Amino acid sequence: MKSSYLCWFQVWRELFSPLHALNFGIGGDTTCNVLWRLQNGELENIRPRVVVLWVGTNNHEHTADQVAGGILAIAQLVMTHLPKSKIIVLGLLPRGEFPNPLREKNAAVNNLLRASLPRLGPVQFIDMGGSFVHSDGTISSRDMFDFLHLTASAYRTISTTLHEMLLQMWEETPQERRASLV
Amino acid sequence: MSEDSNPAATPTPCQDIQGDGRWMSLHNRFVSDSKGKEPDVLFVGDSLVQLLHEFEVWRKLFSPLHALNFGVGGDATQHVLWRLMNGELDHISPKVVVLWVGTNNHGHTPEQICRGIMAIINVVHQKLPHAHTLVLGLLPRGKSPNPLRERNASVNALVQVEAVSLSHISFLDMDPGFIHSDGSIAHQDMYDYLHLTPQAYQRVCQPLHERIKSLLDKHAP
Repeated sequence: MKSSYLCWFQVWRELFSPLHALNFGIGGDTTCNVLWRLQNGELENIRPRVVVLWVGTNNHEHTADQVAGGILAIAQLVMTHLPKSKIIVLGLLPRGEFPNPLREKNAAVNNLLRASLPRLGPVQFIDMGGSFVHSDGTISSRDMFDFLHLTASAYRTISTTLHEMLLQMWEETPQERRASLV
Repeated sequence: MSEDSNPAATPTPCQDIQGDGRWMSLHNRFVSDSKGKEPDVLFVGDSLVQLLHEFEVWRKLFSPLHALNFGVGGDATQHVLWRLMNGELDHISPKVVVLWVGTNNHGHTPEQICRGIMAIINVVHQKLPHAHTLVLGLLPRGKSPNPLRERNASVNALVQVEAVSLSHISFLDMDPGFIHSDGSIAHQDMYDYLHLTPQAYQRVCQPLHERIKSLLDKHAP
């Protein structure tokens, strides 16, 4: 995952540790950085059942097309390296207190992903951003304490959805004692 | 060194280069938050202050002291200076201001950063003449020894010297011994070798909590 804060909240211990999850998130990473890391050792010694990918909001120099392309490239790389793993790509969340160009950009990336990810193979796309924008267009600091990063309670909300999807995937794949999630 | 020639001591708002105006949103929220609240303690600074608010330790140790948190990730001294000069202190009169900033002052010398911290302290003292400012020492950073650790240690030494001669400020060293004998910092303490894990926050916040309580007690009529 992209965000390094998640693993320090209680929700990680409760929902994801029991699934033997590893967190390779680095704050500030772009798709380029994640791609480099995965090409340079981070996938070498593990065989996760599922890879959860969440990156793209920090690609400030790139267009929505380029960002989507970067995410697709990462998904391709994972599929090549770990042909037995399933992939979940999380949609980019809205950001900023008020409507702004980055929200539009992130939504455009999500639309592109929605269209192109299914063609790759066993890749699921989940967009959890819907609940964060209120009817007046604002995002609350109770959900994103700096209008970008999630609070513990917001993490809990999205984690429940993600956790359910993971459990579903567990039931669908053959039993493997050394299950792990990255 | 004049204020003008020191970027660390020149009040500067953060430019919105990313495009979603978050820094100004946070500043505006702090200003409006401060109306109608009567905190006894104000925390102000960078991400080490901001993230503190997101962990359990805030609720346990600092909420009971009626504390407000005006931390913004990425802020350097010049940003905090601008925020405090532009509304964040206008509607409150805390007894203690806890200041933790300086580690993001990239490209500045320890002297410049110290003067930046002193400029903040002066603004606090002008706006809140009865408040005591508790300056927190900058933490070491990076997995292995590196120039930023030396820079931060130099800043701390300079600030400590200033603190000796001023009765309205004091200095607290926040490092409980994060650097191991081999010179490394553990990711169990700083998950990215800069920001604190919950367990590290617990460690540093105990003495901080004690010091704030004793300052509040001294302040009491």
